Amino acid sequence: MTLYEKITTLYTELTDADFAPDTGTIMLQNDSDGNGDYIKEWNHPTLAQPTQEQLDGVQ
Amino acid sequence: MSTVKSKKLQVGTDATSSNNFTIYQPATPDGTLRIGVGNADSPTEVGQFNANGYVATKAPAFKAYASATHNPSLNTWTKIQFDSEEFDTNSNFDTSTYRFTPTVAGYYYITAKLRGALSTSVSTMYVSLYDGTGHEVGFRSLVNNLNQQIMETTALRYFNGSTDYIEAYCNFQGSGTATVYGNGTFYSSSTFQGILIKAV
Repeated sequence: MTLYEKITTLYTELTDADFAPDTGTIMLQNDSDGNGDYIKEWNHPTLAQPTQEQLDGVQ
Repeated sequence: MSTVKSKKLQVGTDATSSNNFTIYQPATPDGTLRIGVGNADSPTEVGQFNANGYVATKAPAFKAYASATHNPSLNTWTKIQFDSEEFDTNSNFDTSTYRFTPTVAGYYYITAKLRGALSTSVSTMYVSLYDGTGHEVGFRSLVNNLNQQIMETTALRYFNGSTDYIEAYCNFQGSGTATVYGNGTFYSSSTFQGILIKAV
């Protein structure tokens, strides 16, 4: 399961628009360095950035 | 009228050799006129004139391509894995970090071409140039069935010749599997290229 899938499982109200490169408030990134996807920016007005524990708990 | 014949001519007599220039014929004459920084006894070549005109010794230009197809996560800016080179004149492109860090300060023209696909009916595909601070998105596409679309983004940028760098990222929105194509055939895979336009 990707980071994007974990986040949208935790917050079902999120849509692709929240991750849109030009207008979204959440930016996920992968630097192709073997460390995988990560949250680059989280500026959502109402939802808090999930903790690593929350993300790890998503099945 | 007199004729002066010499193999080397030093221009400048400053105590600091790097403030002087030398124009000279190489030890083994080859029809070129060399220009170097430094005194006549040990100039460091910076360029030459040959039958085609002036050729700078350090003129970074590179063309890299993705040798293998990879599948980035959806809705995630992912660095495109340009792991092979067609050419890299000044060894400034790193095929392990997929990063261009020119060692000559100046203005460069940079292009990233993404050949990608996303198996969905409605989707968006982005390609960007990333300098470590932000994504410069040059192009995006909103089409039905992104089946092996090709898009490019370009930029004319200044690089300081030491720490400034550029990378190329992609981002796919929609559903299904995102694919960045790179099959080892550089003319049909995703490519990343740049050239020095003006040194400063």
